[in-house]
Amino acid sequence: MKHEPECNCNGKSRRRFISRRDLLFQAGGGISGIALAYLLGTDGLLGAPAAGPQACVGSAGVTDSPFLPKAPHFKARAKSVISLFMCGGVSHVDTFDYKPALTKYHGKPMEGKGEVLVRQGYPGPLMKSPYQFKQFGQSGKWVSELFPNISGIVDELAFIHSAQGRSADHTLSHYEWNTGSIIAGYPSMGAWLTYGLGSENQSLPAFVVIHDPRGGPFTGSAQWSSGFLPAAYQGTVFRSAGDPILDLHPSAGSLSPEQQRAELDELSRINQNYVEKHPGISELTARISSYELAFRMQGCAPEAINLDDESDETKRLYGLDNKVSEPFGRQCLMARRLVERGVRAVQLWNGAVVNQNVDTWDAHNSIVDNHGRHAPEVDKPIAGLITDLKRRGLLDETLVVWHSEFGRMPLSQKGIGRDHNPGALTVFMAGAGVKGGQSIGASDEFGYKAAEQIVTAHDLHASILYLMGIDHKRLTYYYNGRNMRLTDVAGELIPQIVA
Amino acid sequence: MKQSSSVMRRNFSYAAVLGLASGIAGLTNWTVPHRVQAQTQVAANDVLPVLQRCFQCHGPSLQMSKLDLSSREGMLKGGEKGPALIPGNAEASPLYRRVAGLQQPVMPMPPVPALNAAETALLKSWIDQGAKWDSAGAAPSTASTAPAAAAPVVRTPYGVYTERQITDADRQWWAFQKPVRRNPPAMSDSRWNRNPIDAFIRQMQDEKGLEPAPEADRRTLIRRAYLDLLGVLPPPAEVDAFVADAAPNAYEKLIDRLLASPHYGERWGRFWLDVVRYADSSGFEYDLNIENAWRYRDYAIKAFNEDKPYDRFVIEQIAGDELDKPDYDSLIATTYYRVGPRVRFREKNYPSYRYDYMDDMIRTTYQGFMGLSVNCARCHDHKFDPITRMDYYRSVADFWGYVEYDHPLAPKQQVNDYERIEKQLAEQIRPLSQEVARIEKPYRDKQKEQQVQDALKKFPPDIQLAIKTPEAQRTQGQKLLVAQVLIGGDDVNPDDVQVDVHASAKAKARAKADQVFGVNDYGKRGLKLNDADEAKRAALQAKIQEIEDKLPPPLPVADGVRDGDYRLSPDGLGDSHIPGTGRPTYDVKCCFLPAPGQKFEIPALYFAATGEDIKADERGTLVEPGFLTVLSKGSPVLTPHPPSRSDYVSSGRRRALAEAIASQENPLTARVMVNRIWGWHFGRGIVATPGNFGKMGMLPSHPELLDWLATEFVRRGWSIKQMQKLIMTSETYKMASAFYRAPDMEKDPTDVYLWRFPVRRLEAEAIRDATLSAAGTLNLEAGGPPFFPAIPLSVRADQPRGIWELTKEEPSTWRRGVYAYIKRGLKYPMYEVFDEPDLNVTCERRSVSTVPTQALTMLNNEFLLIQAQHFAERVEKEAGKDPREQVKAMYRIALSREPTPRELDTNAAFLNRQRQRATPQNASIDEDKAMRSALTDLAHVTLNLNEFVYIE
Repeated sequence: MKHEPECNCNGKSRRRFISRRDLLFQAGGGISGIALAYLLGTDGLLGAPAAGPQACVGSAGVTDSPFLPKAPHFKARAKSVISLFMCGGVSHVDTFDYKPALTKYHGKPMEGKGEVLVRQGYPGPLMKSPYQFKQFGQSGKWVSELFPNISGIVDELAFIHSAQGRSADHTLSHYEWNTGSIIAGYPSMGAWLTYGLGSENQSLPAFVVIHDPRGGPFTGSAQWSSGFLPAAYQGTVFRSAGDPILDLHPSAGSLSPEQQRAELDELSRINQNYVEKHPGISELTARISSYELAFRMQGCAPEAINLDDESDETKRLYGLDNKVSEPFGRQCLMARRLVERGVRAVQLWNGAVVNQNVDTWDAHNSIVDNHGRHAPEVDKPIAGLITDLKRRGLLDETLVVWHSEFGRMPLSQKGIGRDHNPGALTVFMAGAGVKGGQSIGASDEFGYKAAEQIVTAHDLHASILYLMGIDHKRLTYYYNGRNMRLTDVAGELIPQIVA
Repeated sequence: MKQSSSVMRRNFSYAAVLGLASGIAGLTNWTVPHRVQAQTQVAANDVLPVLQRCFQCHGPSLQMSKLDLSSREGMLKGGEKGPALIPGNAEASPLYRRVAGLQQPVMPMPPVPALNAAETALLKSWIDQGAKWDSAGAAPSTASTAPAAAAPVVRTPYGVYTERQITDADRQWWAFQKPVRRNPPAMSDSRWNRNPIDAFIRQMQDEKGLEPAPEADRRTLIRRAYLDLLGVLPPPAEVDAFVADAAPNAYEKLIDRLLASPHYGERWGRFWLDVVRYADSSGFEYDLNIENAWRYRDYAIKAFNEDKPYDRFVIEQIAGDELDKPDYDSLIATTYYRVGPRVRFREKNYPSYRYDYMDDMIRTTYQGFMGLSVNCARCHDHKFDPITRMDYYRSVADFWGYVEYDHPLAPKQQVNDYERIEKQLAEQIRPLSQEVARIEKPYRDKQKEQQVQDALKKFPPDIQLAIKTPEAQRTQGQKLLVAQVLIGGDDVNPDDVQVDVHASAKAKARAKADQVFGVNDYGKRGLKLNDADEAKRAALQAKIQEIEDKLPPPLPVADGVRDGDYRLSPDGLGDSHIPGTGRPTYDVKCCFLPAPGQKFEIPALYFAATGEDIKADERGTLVEPGFLTVLSKGSPVLTPHPPSRSDYVSSGRRRALAEAIASQENPLTARVMVNRIWGWHFGRGIVATPGNFGKMGMLPSHPELLDWLATEFVRRGWSIKQMQKLIMTSETYKMASAFYRAPDMEKDPTDVYLWRFPVRRLEAEAIRDATLSAAGTLNLEAGGPPFFPAIPLSVRADQPRGIWELTKEEPSTWRRGVYAYIKRGLKYPMYEVFDEPDLNVTCERRSVSTVPTQALTMLNNEFLLIQAQHFAERVEKEAGKDPREQVKAMYRIALSREPTPRELDTNAAFLNRQRQRATPQNASIDEDKAMRSALTDLAHVTLNLNEFVYIE
């Protein structure tokens, strides 16, 4: 084996850590409130500013939380999902969807496709990819030279070349791939997953979103919104610098850890009295335990994303030794640490809208300038993530999905760029037992429209839910007079993915 | 085997979930022949009843996946997934494979309820025998609902639509019947026989065998009333006075006083803002500021404070401009249309956006005012309620005339004067601007030439070649390239310069918004002039500026609506023009805004139009404005009610709709609003789904009470305050919450029948307001433009679009929460974590979740920590330095009560411990500082208490 794991393998342990404490809680059938605080406090556990990984896994002792694990509809292939969202629109025809016809017809108008609508200006002629494609792996997958590392693991990946969206607008198509709807106000897939399955870890948020350090994507939190689901299920943003969660700690000097602990003990005591005065209201008890969980989170969240105890080899694997790939590499490595701690859904963003034409994949102005900048940011980290998950035995229970809001036109924009194209985009998936090395569906000869086995956002979502053990038709929430679904009234499993 | 049994289970549960749908015509009354055997010859008429079950989604009125199964041709042609029928081979026909669960992956059809084995076998035999159609040609119109003759033929862009017939049975649904006022049941108990509400509530408790709680104590009552009506804490002195007030009407006086407080509207107006999906920015990609949205927010607050009759409140929001005598308030009310999510990006080029806005208006209006999900009928007849797709489009027609319009909020004379000055100044500026353009022209031309040269260098050889090639000799591909590359240059004709006298003000506003994040993709580059020209230009620009400065401050406007032709809307904020994207061409007859005397017609609206394809849309039937058929006696077509004014041209369609909604005859409107009021007081409505009174909503827990309240509401002139007083002076409302009786708990664990007062957590805004009122720092500045609560720079940087001023924690940001800027793309983190609803859709009721991130906010957020300090300072100021007195004061301020002796002891002990902790050993002791620190800790604890954030 080329990559011998040098890790301390904390992650493998998420089911194995059963401490004295856990046994106590399990035996007691759950203890909340002051008893929990007391037990954990006297154990010296919560007093520790940086709790060890043992304290930061599982749901032991928690009796009342919207995130308690819930049984899936059927046996799940994966416990966690990592979404790698490339904001701005990745050109499929310059990356994974090889179109020799573009070379052949380069410079000629695209004909026979009806009226071509572009987002900006007039449609240009067909444009060949500026990148060379080669075949890789056992599967002989064609990949462009933009992804030298991902091309090395193509046999782990299932490509979908016939994904198709409904809108050429960044925001609307972001909504579509994240929530199934092109209209705002619908819950994101991560919210549905945590609503349906809870989380394996009560000391960390159930659904974590990690931004590009340059900033958030189009419309920000709307993309990980809980929509009409209870607000608890919205994604929690982990910041790339400083404390991962907003208000995780009081600002420096305002409250010492001892002071805070004393406050919490006092708070818990008084709140407990209040509960006794108002019996039978679970919200009140839940609120007591939410403070203890918050206190745990103060230690567990920084620990979860602290990369210091990762080996140099691991860091290199994710490209942390290179300035270009370091930021996304850190995001990927954090994602691995989060899923190995039982976080249900993680979404990583590459691309920030602050400086849209430069910092997202929105390559209107130049494919080479834009994709040439972004591909090296993510290539090594993504390959590293999948490789690392695999060698740790986590890939089988983790689903990795790589996507973007739309593909790009096979036509040129001003000779060097490409405009938006919701008609065809490429998605790839890895892990969760999904057969690698396969290419599903196809776009037409130019990559203008999905042609064979069109895959909609609903189909993709239905399939992801299936792999997570959920029947997308049964995961419903009553709203607006009906039982709403992530997949609306549509969605078909992609047979090759769920096979 | 295993596979199919799981499929059946799934079908079964899905059917069970949708079991309420059994009223849908056509789903219940087909007959299934029982004589099916494998060898029997199956005729089309035998299989038709089975096939008809597919028609709701794949039939004449709706072709999901473009599949129409109502004819043999349709089956053979198939839909998006290919042919559905292969005659002679059922096993190969997707039609059969789907219903039999053979298709991998499994997609059971029809989804509800599944075909039974006999039906499936019948279908199989029919296909295997060649799928003979013969006499079944009449399939589409033999739907079992109504005689075909009664259904009018409606054209759609995609085929023929047969509107579902609304029957008397449909009108029997409880919510479509007018409320019936029954006499309150007679109660012998003197506690429960004074207020009709109590009689209804107590009777139900009797029926359920529940014993109600006793009355809450006075301190609890005043705190409850304050938090409930004002959202702030009662001042301790008022608590004492109320406790001491021996007058029999002490409580009633309290309620009257609170209802008369100007702070009442700040809380109750906020509830209304949830219903109308209010925000200060438009959302979507650019998340642009809605400049005068706040006037609508203030309007809602004022409406509650003034106890505006609710029927008038409804009419003003939907048609405030169409009234015979509109006033500023009624014009501001129409901002209702504009505070929804809007793309605001070249919308004229994308008519489909407009249909989405119509959907937003229909959803918000019907759910908000009438508790009906009419928006479900956008693409098909409503699946559960008797609302047809034609009803939906009639409603679109009601709204179809509106265009966004800024109503000046000033006397006519002043408006005319302002416009005159504006015009004069523009005339003065024009020659100067033209001169500037003339000076710039050679530079512009040169710049354009330079751009071409740059392009030649920057672009690959084939582009260069295309540009160099003479036009006549270019290939088709080269022509496309050149067209792309050379557009975008500014061709400025100095004689045709547009003058905008507001230009510099706009530029300043823009610069302010873009500070820190000043990235504008579509900005223009500046021109570099030689010194002489630059001097000339600068002088001219200075003159222009001088003239612009003479412009009086802009008149206040309401971001409202009026009737006009949306296709001719001028460019608004966000309408950046990208060359080459022409708007669709229309055959437009009139004008953006009709002038008095001008013949004006609202643009045609076609049935089932979506704006995706204008030509196809026009193939649909023309639609008249109307109201819901099920609520109409006779024709659902509405007669427009235009204003009786000669100086304002408007169709009156919106007003007709508004009057139909606000009518006493409407069985829903009064019920829906009293139910909301009830829900905002008790945490749960009598109908627990305040936005849905249809078949998929919850049934009322107290139907007679609901009807009594609804009729009382109308009798009392739609007065919200009177209803609130009635509710709040009831024994039901005054019950204690700290009460427990095991049998009650067992019978009614969620307190549906109100055997005790339900505790409920304050909403995000009220938690913030209560915190500020405890700290004594609440800034009561009312109304006006929103303030920006302090957020970390990183939060803003992550979401840079639109406006957000970065502020500090200081009194100017400690205003009441309702005045905070509400931005769709960037929620104030404290609100977001405390269940702020989605801002894009009408909020039925806020969820109350309890999660650790809320605790983190309350524990660590700078706002909380600073307010804890102020709270401690206040306590020290009011109670001095004695720890026990401090604890007492803290309880009195924050919890409106005295501490128990035990609480006093333990909290004083806590202060002592924290004081010692804050005093480092051997350090020079600053006793005051240590005491303050300890007191701040206790203040912080107090602000985090359940007792503090729950209404008890």
